[in-house]
Amino acid sequence: MAYAYLFKYIIIGDTGVGKSCLLLQFTDKRFQPVHDLTIGVEFGARMITIDGKQIKLQIWDTAGQESFRSITRSYYRGAAGALLVYDITRRDTFNHLTTWLEDARQHSNSNMVIMLIGNKSDLESRREVKKEEGEAFAREHGLIFMETSAKTASNVEEAFINTAKEIYEKIQEGVFDINNEANGIKIGPNHPTTASTLTAGIQTPLTRSGIDKNEVTTLLDLDEDHGVVIFKFAAI
Amino acid sequence: MLTRVKSAVANFMGGMMAGGSNGDHPGGSDLPLRFPYSRPEFLGLSPDEIECSADHIARPILILKETKRLPWSTGYAEVINAGKSTLNEDQACCEVLVVKRRPAGNSTPNRTPTARRRSSLPNGDGLNIKDYQDSTEDLTFHYWALFDGHAGSGAAVVASRLLHHHIALHLQEVMEILCAPNLQPPTCLGEEPINHLLTPTSQRALTRAASLRGAAGAPGSPNPTPTRFFTEKKVSHESLVIGAIENAFKDMDVQIEKEKAVYNISGGCTALVVVFLQGKLYVGNAGDSRAIIIRAGEVIPVSAEFTPESERQRLQFLAYMQPHLLGNEFTHLEFPRRVQRKEVGKRMLYRDFTMSGWAYKTIDDDDLKFPLIYGEGKKARVLATIGVTRGLGDHNLKVHDSNIYIKPFLSCCPEVKVYPLTQCEHGADDVLVMGTDGLWDVLSNQEVAEAVTCFLANCDPDDQHRYTMAAQDLVMRARGVLKDRGWRISNDRLGSGDDISVYIIPLMYGNKQI
Repeated sequence: MAYAYLFKYIIIGDTGVGKSCLLLQFTDKRFQPVHDLTIGVEFGARMITIDGKQIKLQIWDTAGQESFRSITRSYYRGAAGALLVYDITRRDTFNHLTTWLEDARQHSNSNMVIMLIGNKSDLESRREVKKEEGEAFAREHGLIFMETSAKTASNVEEAFINTAKEIYEKIQEGVFDINNEANGIKIGPNHPTTASTLTAGIQTPLTRSGIDKNEVTTLLDLDEDHGVVIFKFAAI
Repeated sequence: MLTRVKSAVANFMGGMMAGGSNGDHPGGSDLPLRFPYSRPEFLGLSPDEIECSADHIARPILILKETKRLPWSTGYAEVINAGKSTLNEDQACCEVLVVKRRPAGNSTPNRTPTARRRSSLPNGDGLNIKDYQDSTEDLTFHYWALFDGHAGSGAAVVASRLLHHHIALHLQEVMEILCAPNLQPPTCLGEEPINHLLTPTSQRALTRAASLRGAAGAPGSPNPTPTRFFTEKKVSHESLVIGAIENAFKDMDVQIEKEKAVYNISGGCTALVVVFLQGKLYVGNAGDSRAIIIRAGEVIPVSAEFTPESERQRLQFLAYMQPHLLGNEFTHLEFPRRVQRKEVGKRMLYRDFTMSGWAYKTIDDDDLKFPLIYGEGKKARVLATIGVTRGLGDHNLKVHDSNIYIKPFLSCCPEVKVYPLTQCEHGADDVLVMGTDGLWDVLSNQEVAEAVTCFLANCDPDDQHRYTMAAQDLVMRARGVLKDRGWRISNDRLGSGDDISVYIIPLMYGNKQI
């Protein structure tokens, strides 16, 4: 689908704080209580509207485990926004925020918008980190702050969209160089002024792959007529 | 892989190419794609995820999703290049195939399979394999393949979708023989029943005695054997499988050539396949990808690369025999460097197709032509164009700004090596590593073996993701991290800016299979 801008986001934070659940709630509007450990990076995407403009959010959900830190570090590059997530029911995930923030500041571009998120706000009875503490941390480090619940969907939309609004404002103010893809922003094919010159990147072929429906009819395969059966990994 | 390349998208009707200006569509072909560009099917990526995967700035390492599983818990990881091509030109395929006896009445195998994929086959669990495996006459094989495309992604995509079907078809032709391991493969089909039992020595002795007597068969023998007056080469079952894989590569190449008449199939690709059949691993390689086995920490190479340097003598001999293939612009001789005009008449070091060493010859005018093979190591090129000498596709590839075709010098024939898997014991950390050249350009066999062995030793042995995480780690080590001066790996060496794809296949499952 056509968009005016594409923003790349990255979600970071300790393992088990609900990064993948936030992504799933935002992209699919559903909650999955049991989620496999992310062992690398997973992607999601959704279209939103800001100021009447279609904006595509491309979201990179990273593994939180320490052992994957060296792999996920390179994914900060080219991100326009980051959601830094902790779990309000686990004090240690809040204590690790400084390390995450240092990592993010060191490996991303300086204009990256960072949203601090205290997740699992539905588990009030097990709260270990006060909302005020999150607010204070955010104020101290110049972050936006929200408490969310990936389970009840509370504030999830707002978290992603408010970050996008902040990025959008920075574009309007000229803070972001939108012609440099390393800033995590791409101009879409339907952008009024620059469409013809700036879409030569990866968008074109990928869009083509997305809309080509020939696959169904041209897929050529053997079946029992020829006596060959293909198993999709059932035989381990 | 390609320099000075013009990937001519040819008007292939009638097999005629009408000169350099005709048949070239700089902006690509008007023909439809044979298959849309995608990433390997088993990754199960959405169009949005494919878009993310093509990020040349952050270069995300893609792995198998947590919910998916490959046969034998095989690990897989890949990463896109640092910008040399818009798309990731590597492709991969992994399948378990069951070959069933060809239905009666369909005696000639259909060489171009045209049936539709069974949509009823789901993508993962829930499939009841027992229904199919109950028949002892079926032939099951496991298949892993990597393809490294150049000058476009078309050939690699097509080969990743279709090569295994060709292998299945060729195995089907000999499956009765393969399913009777105690019977010598008959030299000529249809002449005599398959009755040369190898194991019961008494009968073999009897047969041999009968042959020696020149009789039509031993009196009273239940299976009279026809007379043989000459010795016959014994052909093993193993070499029938090798032949099936070799012919499958050839058919795949022919199919790409034919279908270019109606589809846009760009470029060419290398192909590295591993087939596990009846307890043995068959490793077929056409190109510069590589497979090694790591057993008890030791490296066992199971493939060899085909490059301008490794195939120099074959290529020089071909050019010597067919000089017109050089278009009067190249010389088949090799010199340590370009010959200069002022050196004509002097004596210079050279090599011909008959030589692995060097000698001196007197330089003449012919030697001023560009050498057929030029450059060293990864920069070596055939006809100043291509750095890999075996693979599929490339039918329209020509030397830049000329009418000289590259394809006659390229071979689609794989070298197939056999590893008798079930004859060896394998632990959980004994694996086969397959990788495209993006991996091996920057890491040696030994470095790969050490990295994998070390990684697996630190994993929970029961973690089913351990091989995928090991593959991710390996790709990470070859890609490196982005520093001020580009992608860097250990010891501040340059990381690979190429597409990198890696399988890590644990071998112990092969021992369990039998």
